[in-house]
Amino acid sequence: MLLDVKNLNAGYDFLQVLWDVSLNVDRGEYVCLVGPNGAGKSTTLKSIAGLVKPTRGEILFNGESILELPGSKICQKGICYISEELNLFTQMTVKENLAMGAYSIDNKKEKKRNLDFVFELFPQLKERKNQLAGTMSGGEQKMLAIARGIMFSPSLLLVDEPSLGLAPQLTRDVFNALEVLRKDGMTILLVEQNVTKSLQVTNRGYVIEKGKIVLEGKSNDLTQDDYVRKVFLGV
Amino acid sequence: MGNILSEQSLLKRISNNLTSAAGITIIFCIALAIFATIDKGFYILINTIVTGGMWALMAMGLALIFGVMNIVCFVHGEFFMIGALTSYFVFTPINNYLLDHSKTMLVATAPLVAMLTAIISGILVGILCEFMVFRPLRKRSREQWVMNSFVITLGMSVFAINTIQITFGADFRGIVNYWPYPPLSFLGVFISFDRLAAFIIALIVIVGLLLFIKFSKFGQAIRAVSQDETGAHMVGININAIQTLTLALSCALAALAGACLLFMYPSYPTMGLGPLYNSWFIVILAGMGNVGGAAAGAFIIALLQVLTTVYIGEGWDYTVPAAIIVIILVFRPSGIFGSEVRGILNQ
Repeated sequence: MLLDVKNLNAGYDFLQVLWDVSLNVDRGEYVCLVGPNGAGKSTTLKSIAGLVKPTRGEILFNGESILELPGSKICQKGICYISEELNLFTQMTVKENLAMGAYSIDNKKEKKRNLDFVFELFPQLKERKNQLAGTMSGGEQKMLAIARGIMFSPSLLLVDEPSLGLAPQLTRDVFNALEVLRKDGMTILLVEQNVTKSLQVTNRGYVIEKGKIVLEGKSNDLTQDDYVRKVFLGV
Repeated sequence: MGNILSEQSLLKRISNNLTSAAGITIIFCIALAIFATIDKGFYILINTIVTGGMWALMAMGLALIFGVMNIVCFVHGEFFMIGALTSYFVFTPINNYLLDHSKTMLVATAPLVAMLTAIISGILVGILCEFMVFRPLRKRSREQWVMNSFVITLGMSVFAINTIQITFGADFRGIVNYWPYPPLSFLGVFISFDRLAAFIIALIVIVGLLLFIKFSKFGQAIRAVSQDETGAHMVGININAIQTLTLALSCALAALAGACLLFMYPSYPTMGLGPLYNSWFIVILAGMGNVGGAAAGAFIIALLQVLTTVYIGEGWDYTVPAAIIVIILVFRPSGIFGSEVRGILNQ
C-alpha cells in the first residue's frame, strides 16, 4: 500500500471538515475521490500534502507516517500535490516555474532530463517557455501546474479538480496527460467534480459527502451503483 | 494562435518599455537632473546619487520584507540606526589609535571593518527579530496579519529606540570622515572620498542583490515565496528558512546604509525615523514588493528631495516629494513600477 489514510479528522480553525476519513491507494493505481462541493475533497488532499494539520488520524506513505511532516518536506518523500488554485509563480516564466518545481533536486542531469520529459509531454509549454505564467490561459496554467509538479519525479500525484473551469477539449488534454503519466508508472489520486469522466478513467473510487466516505469500490461498479447514478449522474 | 508576448523582437520590447509609465518617469527624471545640473551645478547630481544609493539599499530591504514576509515594517529605521551606531563604536577607537600611530593599511581598511561589523550586527538583529517576534506570531495566527505586523513593528521601534537611549544615551555620535584622503576632482567639482566610497558600495550592493535575487537558488526561492507561499511549500522550499534569510538580509542592508552615511548623518537614537519614511515613500511609489523598482525609485525620490531643497527650501524636503507621490498614486495606485495591486489581504 503506497498511501494509507486512516480515520483522518481535519478542519480549519474551529470548523471540522473531515470525520474519520479512510482511504488507500496502491502503487500504480488510479483512484478518484468524488463528491459534491464542500464535501471535504480538497481538505483530504491538503491534509495528505501537509498544508492542513489533521487533529486526529494517521497518514502512512510507504509504511511511514507523514502526519507530522510540514508541507515543504512532503515533496521530498515523493508526493506531489497539484492544487485547485494552481499556486503558480505568476511573475515567473514557464521555464522558471518548472525550474522551481525541481528545487529539491540537486542533480543537474536529473533536472534536465525531467525538463525534457515535461516539454515532450506538454509541447504547448515548450512553445511558451519564456512567457510569464500569470499571462497564460486557464488551460495552459493547469498544464504548467501539472508539469511543475512532476518536475521532481514524484511517485504519488494528488490532483485537485484538474478539469475545473476548462472547456471540453482542454479537459480531454489534461486527462490525456494524466493517462500518459499513469502508463509511465505514476500513482494518481484524483479529486474531481466531473464524476462521469473520473469513473471512466480510474480503477477505483471513493465517494465523500459532508466529510465522510459513504461509498467505495471499483470505478466500473460505482458507475452502475444506484446512489451514484441518482445523485451524481442524474439518472 | 502563436503568442505575441514571447515573440516580440528586442527592438519592439525596448520601445515598449521606454513608453511605459516606468520608462517615461525615468526619462523625465534623467532630463530633470540634467537640467538642474546645468542650472545649478554638479553637486545636485552628486548628492542625488550618493543619498539615492543609500536609500536604495534601505528601500530594497523594505520591499523584500513586505514582498516576502508580508510585514508592514515600521522598525526599518532602527536597523539603520543600529548600523550607524555599531559602525561608530567600531570605527572611533581604531580612528583614535590611528591618530597617534600612522598605519596606511589600517587607515584604508578601518572603515570597511566598521561597515562589515555593521552588516553583521544587522544580520544578528534580523535573526533575533525573526525568532523572537515574527515566527511565534506566524505560528499563532495569520489573521489580520497586515495590521498586526504594522502595530507590532511600531512597538518594536519604540522598544529599540528607548533601549538604545537608555544604554548609550541620547548624544549625537558622528565622525568627521571615514577616510582621511583629499577630495577627488571630477568634472570641475570636488567629491569627498567618503561620498565616492558610499556610492561605489551602494552600486556594488544594489547590482549584487538584484543578480542574487534573479539567479541564485536562494534568490529564486525568495521570489517564489513572495509570489505564492503555498506554491513555495508545494515545491519543497523551507518557508521559515527563507523568511529568516530575507529579514537578516534586509536588516543588513539597512545597517550598511546607516554605517556608510555616518559621515553625513551622525548617530542618535531617533535618527531612524527620517530614513524610515523615505523608504516607505520609495516602496509605495515604486510598487509594493518590487525590489528592482525600489532601487530606481530611491534615486527618483533622492532627486526630488535634492531639487526641493535647492529650488524651494530646506524645510520642504518631505512635503514636496510626498505631495508628488500622492498625485502619482491617484493616477497609478499600483505605483510606477507595479504591475498590479496585489491584494495582500487576500492571501
